[in-house]
Amino acid sequence: MASKQKNMTPQQQKYQQLQQKHELKRPVLKNCIKAFWVGGLICAVGQAISYFYIYFFHFTEQNVGNPTVATMVFLSMLLTGFGVYDRLGQFAGAGSAVPVTGFGNAVISAAIEHRTEGFVLGVGGNMFKLAGSVILFGVFSAFVVALIKTLLGMWGVL
Amino acid sequence: MVYIIRLMIIASMILMSSCSQGHTEEDSQLALMKATNPNPTVTEKNNGQDKVEEIEKKVSNFNEIYDAAIIKGKEATLVVYKVKHMQRFNMKKIEKDLNKTLEEDYPKENFTVSSDYKIFLEAVRLIERKNNGSYSDKQAEKRLNEILKMTSDMK
Amino acid sequence: MLKGHQSWVFNNRPMISATGVSGGPFEANGNLANDFDILHEDLWMGMDSYEKAQRVLLEEAVRTTLAKAKMEKEQIEFLFAGDLINQITPTSFAARTMQIPYFGLFGACSTSMEGLALASFVVNYQGARNVLTGATSHNAATEKQFRYPTEYGGQKPPTAQWTVTGAGVGLITQNVPGEQQPVTTSATIGRVIDMGLSDPFNMGGAMAPAAADTIMAHFRDMELDPSHYDLILTGDLGRIGQDTTFELLIKSGLKIDRKQFQDCGLLLYKDDQPVQAGGSGAGCSATVFYGHILNQMKKGMYKRILVVATGALLSPLSFQQKESIPCIAHAVAVEMNEERR
Repeated sequence: MASKQKNMTPQQQKYQQLQQKHELKRPVLKNCIKAFWVGGLICAVGQAISYFYIYFFHFTEQNVGNPTVATMVFLSMLLTGFGVYDRLGQFAGAGSAVPVTGFGNAVISAAIEHRTEGFVLGVGGNMFKLAGSVILFGVFSAFVVALIKTLLGMWGVL
Repeated sequence: MVYIIRLMIIASMILMSSCSQGHTEEDSQLALMKATNPNPTVTEKNNGQDKVEEIEKKVSNFNEIYDAAIIKGKEATLVVYKVKHMQRFNMKKIEKDLNKTLEEDYPKENFTVSSDYKIFLEAVRLIERKNNGSYSDKQAEKRLNEILKMTSDMK
Repeated sequence: MLKGHQSWVFNNRPMISATGVSGGPFEANGNLANDFDILHEDLWMGMDSYEKAQRVLLEEAVRTTLAKAKMEKEQIEFLFAGDLINQITPTSFAARTMQIPYFGLFGACSTSMEGLALASFVVNYQGARNVLTGATSHNAATEKQFRYPTEYGGQKPPTAQWTVTGAGVGLITQNVPGEQQPVTTSATIGRVIDMGLSDPFNMGGAMAPAAADTIMAHFRDMELDPSHYDLILTGDLGRIGQDTTFELLIKSGLKIDRKQFQDCGLLLYKDDQPVQAGGSGAGCSATVFYGHILNQMKKGMYKRILVVATGALLSPLSFQQKESIPCIAHAVAVEMNEERR
């Protein structure tokens, strides 16, 4: 972007300064507070669900994550389908996007959106339109981190 | 927004009410929320009750640990504990230290050390059942071995 | 007749003799619900895709216009219309249904005035007797193409705008002297202006210089003063764009009054509706102008107005490739027909 800025004509730069003055700023602090509370609330619900699985099913703290994540994604699917999650997202921002429910929402909203183009080309082809890059870079960074850990272990650092 | 908040309240109420149904055991119900400090237990009568109490004291001496359940079986001894919340960052170190202390002091014993809530919960349940007589020694031993297996599955 | 550099004067004063406006549920809760002819409760409009729903909006607007004018579609020579969706399919498909000879237009959100200018030009020079022109957009269909899925929980910044669900259509006919209807008197066709902004969530800021350029060109070409018009109406600049345009105009020395300067995107919705900076989309200027504004003109609230519809000529591909957003604006001057003496 920095190089592009230089390519602008003086007229463009002058206009952008003028425009900046009128541009409504994001209320960053307010958004952070909202995100903190809603994100925390979602995580508290997740914690309650994982305790539920520990109490009533054979899950230990180590592997209770799997059913909990599945449940949270299911809940976010319901909320997305009922049209609640996008409103929550507008209110909470990162608070509802960062937990796994946000990932579920990204997958499901795309699936709903492209239902009209059929199951194969529509739902199948577009379901991971938004979430695909999360999966790709998530897997890739996990690979890199695992590689570093293995190498460090081999050299005896860890 | 009001709708979302209402939905969350309802969801949490359902979760809570489902917790309070059915089970009649007292301590184990709240085992995850408060310190229970159950009596250390042995599965076989007259086999090392003194020893487990000694172990319990040693474990309780750790500053980071505020709650511990110890069950000694025929071969293995299960030590489950909860660490203070702010000490959870040092979980690994605490487990290592505890293991070392126990191994040094009781080289003959075969310890299984865990801080998992699930294992703790099951241990408390086992102790309660043992104490109120619904488990015989044999049943208790069997259950202990199941719990130990659960622990080893995790690792 | 060409006047100045980029403006047309319509000496025969083509008449907007009937209009039809349809809208969706969000517009029904808005400020101007009474000025819509047809309002839908459901975004789907009984169809199984949003693109089909958008087609329905245009078809209904056309049907309403024809019913009001007591005309059959066979009496219409041409249709000038467009929308925002890929290859303007909703409009073309609606034209297939209506079987009226058709010009498909794309001017993004400026399509309404592009169509009105061209239709007036054709009618003015007897190229046709009756011409339909209009524009349509559908919130969900447009969001789907340009932004994220409708149900995606992403946070929109306060500079973002809400795409209008609706269609506005006007019937342009030869002037009938004395009839109390609005007529078009002149039009200014805009240049494409790019000030290097590339944030698709801040269209108002990107479109403002185009609007200012066209407005200034209009007054220069027509040798007029802003006080000639009771109202200068912009299409969908929203809060930021409108303030910016106003400042640009003042700075360039145009004596314009803040009160006579309004924006369709801001008129359409109530303050408590979550539209961020205001409404946008091809349907925004079309529904507000053909509905609310013309109704007010007929009531005598305004005698002469200048409508400037602005469009951001971007595609989802171009902004992902980090291209800046080129913008355009077209202006049409509308006034009430003179009473017969």
